[in-house]
Amino acid sequence: MSSLLGDQMTLMALKSASAGAVALAFGGAPLGVLMIARRLSLMGDALSHGILPGVAIAFLLAGRDPVALTVGALTAGLIVAGLSSLLARTGKLPDDAAFAIFYLSALALGVLLLGKMGKADEMEALLFGSTQALDAGGLVLAGAAASATLIGLALFLRGVLGEGADPVFMKTLGARFGLSHLLLMLLLALNLVAGFRAFGALMTVALMTVPAAAARFWAKGYGGQAAWAVALSAVSGLIGLFLAAVWGAEPGALMTLCAALLFGVSALVGSNGGLLQTRLAKAHLKGLKA
Amino acid sequence: MAPVPARAVRVENLSVGYDRHPAVVGLSGLFAAGSLTAVVGPNGSGKSTLLKALAGHCKPLAGRIDLGDLKPSDIAYLPQVHGLDLKFPLTLEDLVGFGFIGRRGLFGGFARTDRERLYGLMAQVGLEGLQRRPIGSVSGGQLQRALFARVMAQDAKLVLLDEPFNGIDARAAEDLAQLMARWPEQGRTVIAVLHDLDLVRRLCPQSLVIARQAVAWGPTDHAVAPEQLTRARKLAESWNVSDEPPVTVVQHAEHVG
Repeated sequence: MSSLLGDQMTLMALKSASAGAVALAFGGAPLGVLMIARRLSLMGDALSHGILPGVAIAFLLAGRDPVALTVGALTAGLIVAGLSSLLARTGKLPDDAAFAIFYLSALALGVLLLGKMGKADEMEALLFGSTQALDAGGLVLAGAAASATLIGLALFLRGVLGEGADPVFMKTLGARFGLSHLLLMLLLALNLVAGFRAFGALMTVALMTVPAAAARFWAKGYGGQAAWAVALSAVSGLIGLFLAAVWGAEPGALMTLCAALLFGVSALVGSNGGLLQTRLAKAHLKGLKA
Repeated sequence: MAPVPARAVRVENLSVGYDRHPAVVGLSGLFAAGSLTAVVGPNGSGKSTLLKALAGHCKPLAGRIDLGDLKPSDIAYLPQVHGLDLKFPLTLEDLVGFGFIGRRGLFGGFARTDRERLYGLMAQVGLEGLQRRPIGSVSGGQLQRALFARVMAQDAKLVLLDEPFNGIDARAAEDLAQLMARWPEQGRTVIAVLHDLDLVRRLCPQSLVIARQAVAWGPTDHAVAPEQLTRARKLAESWNVSDEPPVTVVQHAEHVG
């Protein structure tokens, strides 16, 4: 097996990256389904850029120390998420505009800081993933993020779904349920931070949202969609990592492309409104009329 | 179902509206504990705005609403236009189940009796067999029934309904209206915006006729009398000319304690 591996990745690294990808699937994909349902897919992108200045400042203070990078990313992510949410809640701007303002500013700040430090190359690694595999600490973080997400969702799912589907109803019950939005972002930031060092911030978001979008073509309710999203995300991650090892290519990019391919297949043959099913139903209806 | 202790709702010199344009002006009176009051009036007379204010969705421009010790979770509100995102991955069963949040909280799991009650409520509103249907795939009438079932699941002390039978066929509307008419016996205070005057006269002991201000408020026989409805209509026609609320109050509203 190791003879198959290029210079990019060793067998040990592949194993640990595979475990990380599966953990990310369990944590990220159920969040992806919620983000798509709540029309907040952009939030993931926003956060993935928003962590940049935090990482840059961590570089400045502690070099490549993984704990410092994680803390920096998480802090910056939460600040961007929190400020955007506050701005969105004023009701003067739609959510996406509120996010755009903060993530673009954060991106600009991050680029400026990394450029000043002569670390412009690091930005590419940050957004698209580096070939360095997850270390033990990174794996623990990925596992913790997945566990926190599943526990958080198990406890708060009703509120998160209710607030997304019927905010007027939840408002009548009392404003404290607005906390579920914050919880969603906290978990998103945590999963993003858990994935970014191995797979890149942008690619981590892709592995949350693309399989979640594909899951819509297979299941109707949230539970079914979340289960499909986890499965599709894990399969994309594992195939992508394997191909990256064989071809010596960027794992994050290949994982994302695998997810996109599975999305295409789902949109075509999915049992919940896939193109083929819709065509067949139309043909059947035509036959009945004739 | 054990009766829930209900609370009266008092409004004092209440004015509500948007961007400083009042939709309801100087309304004072009491919705008695365990009463069923129909709110009746021409289009744009402030009925929905009044309910919205009672539900806590808009703040009074002047005056006050006294809900006693009612907490937000004690209030069930069915707005005229639902705020549901129909593309959200939810089934009718999930939707009706949200009604339990107020009592069980966000953490509390559903008890087995909750599930039985949920299915019972869905059967009561005529949604048997549709529990697993996505909310985006059912008719407007079926969705409205599910929202009505959610109100029932809330087991609330104060129930605010804004045209709850819109889009529902006549027979089902009658069934739901009969359910609503029994709520006061269970100790609930019910305030419902209704258009069907026949239904109001048959089922609602109290009525508030409103045309931005209270035209009449009291026992339905007196409040929904033809002369009161004519007055309300004339008031409504007068705003169409000026589009401002009338400056002088024509006559003091009749109040019931």
